[in-house]
Amino acid sequence: MAHAFRPRPGGTLTCRLEGEERAIIAQVAQEVRELIRHDLQLQERPAPEAVQQAAQSDDPLQRLEAELAGAPSREPVDSAVQRLFPAASEDPQVAGEFRRFGQQALAEEKLEDLLRMIRMLDRPGSGREEVALGQEDVPVWLRGLNDMRLVLADRLSITRDGEFETLRMLQQIGEQVEDVPPVEDGDVAGGEIVAAVYELLTWLQESLLSALEHR
Amino acid sequence: MDGTDPRAPRRGSAGTGVLEQERSSVFGSLGDGPWQAVVHNDPVNLMSYVVHVFRTYFGFSRARAGALMQQVHEQGRAIVSRGSREQIETDVQAMHSFGLQATLEPSGQD
Repeated sequence: MAHAFRPRPGGTLTCRLEGEERAIIAQVAQEVRELIRHDLQLQERPAPEAVQQAAQSDDPLQRLEAELAGAPSREPVDSAVQRLFPAASEDPQVAGEFRRFGQQALAEEKLEDLLRMIRMLDRPGSGREEVALGQEDVPVWLRGLNDMRLVLADRLSITRDGEFETLRMLQQIGEQVEDVPPVEDGDVAGGEIVAAVYELLTWLQESLLSALEHR
Repeated sequence: MDGTDPRAPRRGSAGTGVLEQERSSVFGSLGDGPWQAVVHNDPVNLMSYVVHVFRTYFGFSRARAGALMQQVHEQGRAIVSRGSREQIETDVQAMHSFGLQATLEPSGQD
């Protein structure tokens, strides 16, 4: 049985997740990583050798070019990525500068958080379904769960307070009506899975916050 | 970027100095300066999460963090800090790292 996060002696917080739940959370984390990288056009590999050499060049123009090559500040295109990397100002110039100097670092932090979560969830053959978070893992999980929820909420088109509750209620009413033909549309069926995963992540984040309060 | 972790607790939030005493009252100063950081409402972030972020990053008391969270929720936005442009950029970057909607703007707007 899955159980929520609980404080343990020694200061760790543990939760129990079914193998399937671990797999789906790791999968969503990986998909969010890929979405961020793809949308911001970030490279998986470190800067190529030529760029590294240019970064140490005596020519200031070459150094500048290397800096720009290594720190793209592409505006997010996907609506979920826009939510993760919002404009920092109504003033386009202020927002642009902010992106230019901070977006790359912010993206790397988010990718790293998600990767750490995946590594903790992805331990094949360990036979243990418990996830134990040490002090330094807690902020990583809080941020990572939150970023995943933001992306799923975008896919569910949750843009106003209370909208998820409404969506869920409509789905439950739909499930109760017997004469409704089975859903054939892939998008709608996919939406139900996304909603279920969103609920799972929300439950986990809530339980982690609650366990922190009671530690 | 100066190489320090932008998500680490903000200046003056970890010690027991004057700044923290100010920050722990419900109506204490948010700092002073020509720029301010504003957090905006969104329907996804849990209220308990927003309070947690305000407490751990800014070092606000539970009551203060709760009041600011309520203000965000009810009025759509709340000013969470004021300072130099550089300080406020750091705060906004930190808020984005936690997934909160935040902007910087010249001080003086509500």
